[in-house]
Amino acid sequence: MNLNWNLSHFQSMVVFALVISISFAFLSKRRIKDRVLYFLWTFMMFLLIGVAIGWAMFPFSR
Amino acid sequence: MASQKQIAATRIAGDAGEVKAVLIAIAAWLIPGMGHALQRRWGRALIYFSSVGTLVAVGVAMHGNIFTWEGANDAFDLLGFLSNLGTGIFCLLAQRVGGGMVDVSHAAGDYGTRFLAVAGVLNLLCVLEAYEIARGRKS
Repeated sequence: MNLNWNLSHFQSMVVFALVISISFAFLSKRRIKDRVLYFLWTFMMFLLIGVAIGWAMFPFSR
Repeated sequence: MASQKQIAATRIAGDAGEVKAVLIAIAAWLIPGMGHALQRRWGRALIYFSSVGTLVAVGVAMHGNIFTWEGANDAFDLLGFLSNLGTGIFCLLAQRVGGGMVDVSHAAGDYGTRFLAVAGVLNLLCVLEAYEIARGRKS
């Protein structure tokens, strides 16, 4: 079997954030509305904090 | 006041519940989501199975490192092996499918390694929840 996914940094982060946010929402909340809100919150935080850390590291990357 | 028979019956019921919870936890570890499926939490079972499966599939497809017991040279390798082991049957599948494709010389391979490790840790969280539900400590 030949599997080969060359995801970019951002694509990897989005896939990771998506899967983990859904799982965390189901692990920690019981009501549907709470799960949706928690998913949206954690998903956005994963992305925003990831990008923010990326920018913070930019001056040290060269 | 509870009689000796009632106390003994309660203790036996408690032991049986503990054994059942441990068996459910083992099933949940072997097949992600199985612990919830055995307790008729179908939605959560499907979500956890899909999540762990997706992380492992993406990790293998990105040529992530699959740690083995034989290849564990230091503590980090051992931790990597333990986290991979957390995915249960997916660990064996990943070794079969992606064992020969490991390539961490690129960023994608390094990300794949993290995906595989997180899949194992996520499944252990799901195992813990399945155990807690079986013990009646969580709804």
